[in-house]
Amino acid sequence: MDTFTQNTTEIILESISDGVFTVDHEWKIMSFINRAAEKITGIARKDAIGRYCWNVFRSNMCQDECALKKTMQEGKSFFSSSTYIVNSQKKRIPTTVFTALLKDKKGNIIGGVETFRDHRLVEELRKKLYGSFQMGDMISRSQAMRNIFKLLPKVSQSDSTVLIRGETGTGKELIAKAIHDLSPRKDNPFVAINCGALPDTLLESELFGYKAGAFTHATKNKPGLFATANKGTILLDEIGDTSPSFQVKLLRVLEEKACLPLGAVKKEKSDIRVIAATNKNLSKMVDANTFRQDLFYRINVVQLKLPPLRQKMEDIPLLVEHFIANLNKIRGKSVSGIDKTALGILMAHDYPGNIRELENIIEHAFVLCSKGDITKEHLPSTLTRQSLIEIEDNASQFPLKAAEIKVIKIFLKKNNYGRKATAKDLGIDKSTLFRKINKLGINLPKIDGRFKR
Amino acid sequence: MKVAITVWDEKISPVFDSAHKLLIADIKNKKIKNISYKSFDPELEARLAEELSLIGIEVLICGAISQAYSTLIEARPIQLIPFINGNVNEVLESYVKGNPLAPAFLMPGCREEEESP
Repeated sequence: MDTFTQNTTEIILESISDGVFTVDHEWKIMSFINRAAEKITGIARKDAIGRYCWNVFRSNMCQDECALKKTMQEGKSFFSSSTYIVNSQKKRIPTTVFTALLKDKKGNIIGGVETFRDHRLVEELRKKLYGSFQMGDMISRSQAMRNIFKLLPKVSQSDSTVLIRGETGTGKELIAKAIHDLSPRKDNPFVAINCGALPDTLLESELFGYKAGAFTHATKNKPGLFATANKGTILLDEIGDTSPSFQVKLLRVLEEKACLPLGAVKKEKSDIRVIAATNKNLSKMVDANTFRQDLFYRINVVQLKLPPLRQKMEDIPLLVEHFIANLNKIRGKSVSGIDKTALGILMAHDYPGNIRELENIIEHAFVLCSKGDITKEHLPSTLTRQSLIEIEDNASQFPLKAAEIKVIKIFLKKNNYGRKATAKDLGIDKSTLFRKINKLGINLPKIDGRFKR
Repeated sequence: MKVAITVWDEKISPVFDSAHKLLIADIKNKKIKNISYKSFDPELEARLAEELSLIGIEVLICGAISQAYSTLIEARPIQLIPFINGNVNEVLESYVKGNPLAPAFLMPGCREEEESP
């Protein structure tokens, strides 16, 4: 390269907003080429040269899904639109990455080159665009969820105890996290504990801590979650599964805002916001004397009820898109979307495991699909077998319509063809259900759910 | 004392947030008594500190870490020694001997903030 060309290249590289670096065959940084690379990573050129690229670039893809490694192995360029790096200020910076081979004048491969772009602005704009149906990590177009989203900023600003109800997999922990992130406590810890998974003694020691000598092997003081998450938020998940004796202790802590670590003689103050979650109907449990009434009233100050996924089937395309974007980021893949038939199969499923089940299905598809669209071949065989039997032949042409017909039929049958109960289960008005039945040409048997046979 | 290190082969994982294997070393009288490995999933953010605490981890040595994880771990309280890079055995050996890990094992562009045992 002559001096003029070299100078021109340097000027161009210095003026672009994408960061560029090159590595040799041992993954060591040969050149940390431009100012943008220094600005995005916060690392000076002199500190980067000669270091392993993963210790400089520090991306979530470095360990298992390195784009540069793929380029060097396969001899072709890669683009990844969804990755992030962690800078030395502990900030995650969303980035896009482009990799290519680096060759000398004779065409010999001497290493690789990586170009990366700071995507923070794009991410902010995307959040604003999706703002009306996104809250924290939750995403929904359904009216029930959007009503909750509208309520969350107010709930977050108050310091009241919140009870989140919902079937397993509906996103109770995500709602709790969103409340914390929107609250004045957001810079302090958010911790979650599954109360149903631990025996009483372990649960108490986890929550309230213990003092040295409280029991055998307790050689040191151990603060509980109420102490360590001080000024933050705690989620007590599966509160309905706790024992009556634990419920008494918890009630006392909530009322006194102080807890007594095991082996301690003095109570320790704790300023913590409590969010409780359950998949059970606590008010029925109170009636059955299996949950303390006083604790129920203490935690049921604000109640949020999360609808199951089968009542907000309109969310499935949005959720699928959301999971694909997330998994592309985590797994370093470039799956572009889902085809109509596969989406139709997903729309026809009734999701007893709710959003978590849908997420697992997409994760399963990611194992088999690296790029392009997810097709029905990538879905779990149990799902496709069941759906192939149940979806009519014309489903491949109109999969969404077929799925909608199937869902309505399932709920009509479940409710003995009672229109009112079916509409309620589907989360739509009765008039909307009638309109859909007529529009989709669903034939109803001559029975009526109001009359039991 | 139990010390955990996020590992990737023989190296420290460059990013804690996407690491998935922990080396757990039992240290007594400046000697390693036992080493074991455990898979973990940092995506389960709110449960992570609880999980580490249940194992009895007192010190966590890792690579780059984002603020959310850092706050959670330090709140337990687990002593966090972040932004460390290099060969796991060398880092562990140095830590056990009581030598400071910074600046020798500090990632480029990072300031010293760790304490030796």
